[in-house]
Amino acid sequence: MAVTSVVERLKARVGQPGPAVSATVEAGHLERFVEAIDDPNPRWTEEAPPTYLVALVPVSMHLAEAEEYGKGWLNGGNRFEHFEPVRVGDRITATGKVADVYEKTGGSGTLLFIIFETDYVNQHGRTVARLRGTAIRR
Amino acid sequence: MTPKVGEEIPELVKHPTTRQLVQYAGAQGDFYEIHYDQDFARSVALPGVILHGLLKAAFLGQLITDWLGDEGTLKTFEVSYRGVDVPGKPYRCRGRVVKVEGKHVELEVWGEDPEGKRTTVGTATVELAG
Repeated sequence: MAVTSVVERLKARVGQPGPAVSATVEAGHLERFVEAIDDPNPRWTEEAPPTYLVALVPVSMHLAEAEEYGKGWLNGGNRFEHFEPVRVGDRITATGKVADVYEKTGGSGTLLFIIFETDYVNQHGRTVARLRGTAIRR
Repeated sequence: MTPKVGEEIPELVKHPTTRQLVQYAGAQGDFYEIHYDQDFARSVALPGVILHGLLKAAFLGQLITDWLGDEGTLKTFEVSYRGVDVPGKPYRCRGRVVKVEGKHVELEVWGEDPEGKRTTVGTATVELAG
């Protein structure tokens, strides 16, 4: 019964935008990210590499209330759409939402899928990227 | 650049280490223990600490942007994580052109473990410059 209520509670949140979170792309943070992914392309001293935005503004991958379900998180996948380059000094505002919640039963039992969607808008009001992420509780 | 359907793009081999996982955890702000705490990782039935899915996505992103250089832009990029990967083993990133329509090129990309198992699979669309 407790499990059902977690799923129902999460489903009730589908479509509701979370709080907008803003951050500025700082050269130092970008440099640490690029070092961590070990990509020596000199282009990334000024411009953000394809997956950088997930590090700039933490996306709520680990939804606390979902942790009552199963024993661990898995990342199922990510989809990045890029509309404009992101550069050092840009002020980015991210707004995320839970786009979908569903359970799926497979060979290893029932899993809970939570689809997150985040839009990233720059200081000029233009959407620079959209990220879709599939988080799985198992 | 004139990509042709079926053509493989130059592969990229990465050498992830536990140190890199800690670096990446800090840079991304993802402190889930399965990426740096061996005991915790085993307690949730994993073989030990595993690579962040998004780190593998970053490797595949590099594969594509290395190939493109300044001759095009990465527009969409989608990956599915099909298996776990552990540090200390080379991670081989590969890709192939599947569709060319004028300036729009579609790629299939994947990451392989040393046994050749595709633990990350994905697609990307790029727009060529000029």
